[in-house]
Amino acid sequence: MADSPLGRPVNRVDGRRKVTGTAAYAADQHPDRMVHGHLLVSDVGHGTIRSMDTAAARSAPGVLAVFTPFEPLALAAGAGQNWVPLQDTLVRYHGQVIGIVVADTFEQARDAAALVRTDYDETPPAASFAAGIPTATVPTGGWEPPVVDILADGVTSIDEALAASPVVVSGNYSQPSKHHNAMEPHATVADWRDGGLVVHGGTQAPAGHARSIAAALRLDPAQVRVLSPYVGGGFGNKATTWADAVVTAAAARAVGRPVKTVLTRPQTFTVTGHRSAVAQAIALGADHDGTLIALKHDAWSSLSGSGSVFESAPGTTSRMLYRTANLHVGQKVVTLDVPPSTFMRAPGEESGSFALECAMDELATALRMDPVALRLKNYATVLPGRNVPWSSKHLDECYRVGASRFGWARRRATPSAVAEGDWWVGMGMATAVYPANRFPTSVRVRLLADGTAAVSTASADLGTGMWTVLAQLGADRLGIAMDRVRPELGDSALPANFGAFGSASTAGVAPALRDAAAAAVRSLTEIAVSDERSVLHGADPAGVEYRAGALHAGGRSVTFGALLTATGHPAVEATASGGPGGPPAEYAFHSFGAHFCEVRVNRWTAELRLSRITTVVDAGTIVNPKTARNQIEGGMLFGVGQALFEGAQVEPNGRIANANLADYLIPVNADVPPMDVHFLDHPDTVFNPAGVRGVGEIGTVGVAAAIANAVFNATGRRVRDLPITVEKLL
Amino acid sequence: MRPFRFDVARSVEDAVHRPAPGLAYLAGGTTLVDLMKLEVANPAAVLDINRLPLRGIRSDGPGLRIGALERMSAVAGHPAVTSGYPLLAEALRHSASPQVRNMASIGGNLLQRTRCGYFRDVRTGCNKRVPGSGCPAIEGENRTHAVLGTSDTCVATHPSDLAVALVALDATVLVHGAGGRRALPIADLYLLPGSTPDQETALRPGELITEVTVPALPAGTRSTYLKIRDRQSYEFALCSAAVALRMRGRVVREVRVAAGGVGTRPWRLPAVEDALTGRAPRPDVVAAAAAHAVDGARPLSQNRFKVLLLQRTITRAVLSLVDGRG
Ligand SMILES: Cc1cc2nc3c(=O)[nH]c(=O)nc-3n(C[C@H](O)[C@H](O)[C@H](O)COP(=O)(O)OP(=O)(O)OC[C@H]3O[C@@H](n4cnc5c(N)ncnc54)[C@H](O)[C@@H]3O)c2cc1C
Repeated sequence: MADSPLGRPVNRVDGRRKVTGTAAYAADQHPDRMVHGHLLVSDVGHGTIRSMDTAAARSAPGVLAVFTPFEPLALAAGAGQNWVPLQDTLVRYHGQVIGIVVADTFEQARDAAALVRTDYDETPPAASFAAGIPTATVPTGGWEPPVVDILADGVTSIDEALAASPVVVSGNYSQPSKHHNAMEPHATVADWRDGGLVVHGGTQAPAGHARSIAAALRLDPAQVRVLSPYVGGGFGNKATTWADAVVTAAAARAVGRPVKTVLTRPQTFTVTGHRSAVAQAIALGADHDGTLIALKHDAWSSLSGSGSVFESAPGTTSRMLYRTANLHVGQKVVTLDVPPSTFMRAPGEESGSFALECAMDELATALRMDPVALRLKNYATVLPGRNVPWSSKHLDECYRVGASRFGWARRRATPSAVAEGDWWVGMGMATAVYPANRFPTSVRVRLLADGTAAVSTASADLGTGMWTVLAQLGADRLGIAMDRVRPELGDSALPANFGAFGSASTAGVAPALRDAAAAAVRSLTEIAVSDERSVLHGADPAGVEYRAGALHAGGRSVTFGALLTATGHPAVEATASGGPGGPPAEYAFHSFGAHFCEVRVNRWTAELRLSRITTVVDAGTIVNPKTARNQIEGGMLFGVGQALFEGAQVEPNGRIANANLADYLIPVNADVPPMDVHFLDHPDTVFNPAGVRGVGEIGTVGVAAAIANAVFNATGRRVRDLPITVEKLL
Repeated sequence: MRPFRFDVARSVEDAVHRPAPGLAYLAGGTTLVDLMKLEVANPAAVLDINRLPLRGIRSDGPGLRIGALERMSAVAGHPAVTSGYPLLAEALRHSASPQVRNMASIGGNLLQRTRCGYFRDVRTGCNKRVPGSGCPAIEGENRTHAVLGTSDTCVATHPSDLAVALVALDATVLVHGAGGRRALPIADLYLLPGSTPDQETALRPGELITEVTVPALPAGTRSTYLKIRDRQSYEFALCSAAVALRMRGRVVREVRVAAGGVGTRPWRLPAVEDALTGRAPRPDVVAAAAAHAVDGARPLSQNRFKVLLLQRTITRAVLSLVDGRG
């Protein structure tokens, strides 16, 4: 029997293809007769387009067509933003799609696009988040209730509870809007053939992408097939179909040739989504022994008038993280004339944890208490308000294991107490939390006569490791070697899958795959006992056992390959679906973690260096420690970006001044400290039989707070406005 | 990018006798091609100068000679440079990325253009790009902009790290034009923006940089290039200091200080040098001397911090040479 690869640090099955450049991404496709699209985007922040002079572009070399609101493409609703591209002359924000040039080569399309002259009637946009805060409203959408008040008996308001608290800390926290900047820009190759449409496009949700494109082009969903075997990063920004994909598909229909459009880096900032800017006010009230009496956390998040997602900062963090007698969380949105706001890795938790976990550090300082001890003092064992326990929670172990691996005991509570040469050394910590999600997932398991198996689902591997995990899970359930399992994903024609987001892929796939494998084995058994060419013919099905790729009964056994060959079956297959799991009424479902971070700050020039980070994660069973570590490290890097570098500079006219990778800073390798990632690996079998939660996003949550807390410990400066740039420490 | 004519220069004479208007020399292309893609540079003709014999890194008695087409990486790693001119090697090593340094030439480095985001975006005004079209940076995003040498028409920072080190070293640039050769002290190469920020250098149209010469540092001189930036690699300076220091006993015998990231051109700081010369470089003395660096500084809405950061950067760089901590 093949040893199960589950839980082993298996190399990526697609690794060789990626490092040798043979993994073909969307932009690597070039069907016959393909031509190139280049988008036109608005140069003003708000108004209407008076005219577009496309004559020069049309007569430029190689140009096939120019589509604009004045010569539109036939499109209906379907894509991510709440308006339909090219159907009107309204400019809703700076950088909005207002046309596409199609030409024989990429360079011709780009150069012709530069020749289009557009005149606008401009009106001033509401682009400033800070200026918009007084206009904030309570959101109607969103996946968390905007306001939650849980007050102790006899307490009439959170402010009353705060006023009655012996120790109170409060602060205002802020962070700018941020952009995903996946390495692979959004790309679409639209190829109409045989009455249908094949779209190559990097997406987190092939099936959803196909549905959106079908709606926008008024096609039957069955006519659209999305292929997305490799995705060069998504981070939430490839969960939605944006204007570029539907405009490209419509342009391909209009010119009668396959069209490829790859967004330029600046276009990815405005044609696709970004994370809200967030302002937060938080106040904590506690007793002298550290017991929380009141937690009040309000947030204002930017929301694009084009839709649709905003940072639910308190609702995803303060709402559930600590035990407190009185709790208030409140969320408002500031609607702005900016590009669409969308999901971005740990949407809500990323910003919410920055405010909450810094405020906890401030409280620990005010109480002269160790920050870890303060968190253990207020450890929640039931979900506040609902009073249900977690299916599996080992956050206390994360704190203890993390503190010991990191050497937290050496921390000095007094700021600037430790220096090495001209560098102050500081330590900080913070908690990580992320909900355990499961979305509708179908998986097909197919056993083939050649002794191999295929495991298929319309999911995506955006660098997450899903190719590998699918093969591992298949090998484990079927008891065969991994190299006999062929994973299949990234194709909307495969069994339905909600898509790769919410850190839910493995948790959704594992139980569905388990059921599908069992069903396939039942079909196999049926053949084995009923077909007279089978060595197990006539055996009692109840007595047939499947083990290590073979059926066994009464001392005889046959591998599934041999059985299928002998009985003339090319394959047997079964598809099974799992839905949201566990009994939600009785349990709460979250993953947890703790970050410990050390920083150095130069006493002359205030340069900040991260010297090391230890992170301990409680995310259930770890299917592949190698790909899981990779996910956590990538998540932590996102947190480093949040803490030190990232932020869009939105000008009053709506232009993003740093919409490129030279000016929008993300961490480079030299900025990344040694990362010590440790998994507790406690199976959460209440959540699903495989015991798996998810690891895609939790690594980000709390990193910025751990860094900011370490900066305080190093310098005595409490930076509440991100990113922490040199001028804030000088 | 606009269509352009492409030729390869056969000799220096061939290059400098081509009609200058609309012609751009192509060395490593890491600035030029970038700006052409952005349509900031729209030359009618591009002349590849990479086959010209402008190579060689030679160290002889009076100093160092570097051919204009030597690559940044070659100069940074050359033993004569790392041993005799550490600040030069450090300035180059802390520039850009290994890939860019392998392509980029010394001549091209000195003539690279500002990183001002408005200069690089043709949808906005910029007096340097289109004279008279305004300077959005003065009221806009100006955190990385200059505090020294600015004018009411332009506040763009000169981006080269190498140029700062060369200004501290009193280097000379040899140029060759249709009218012959001449030598230009590097300090005279760069012009202040004044009311003509589009005119950045004292080069005449079509003049080619052929070589850079650097006088040898006196024996016993220590030098360093300290670069403060938002991230630790692949990023331009918020502020930098090139310092060369020679002590006599416990006092400073000779010191040279130049600053980058803060000026509209690489900025030599004679007032700081004078305040240090002949003094014992205790931290308070150095800090007081460094305060002269910001005489006449004109900070903008977002870059006021550079006034303090510049003083601290100089102080730290000088003290690191005194302590020998590097
Ligand atoms: C991502 C990135 C990061 C960077 N970071 C830094 C940094 O941190 N510090 C830093 O100092 N620089 C940095 N640079 C700038 C880089 O150093 C310059 O782009 C490079 O040195 C230019 O050299 P080149 O040979 O490629 O010049 P080219 O692009 O070929 O030419 C630049 C200009 O000089 C002209 N020219 C070139 N050679 C000659 C000559 N011999 N005579 C007359 N004219 C000539 C060209 O016509 C053109 O106008 C960075 C660049 C990039 C792309």
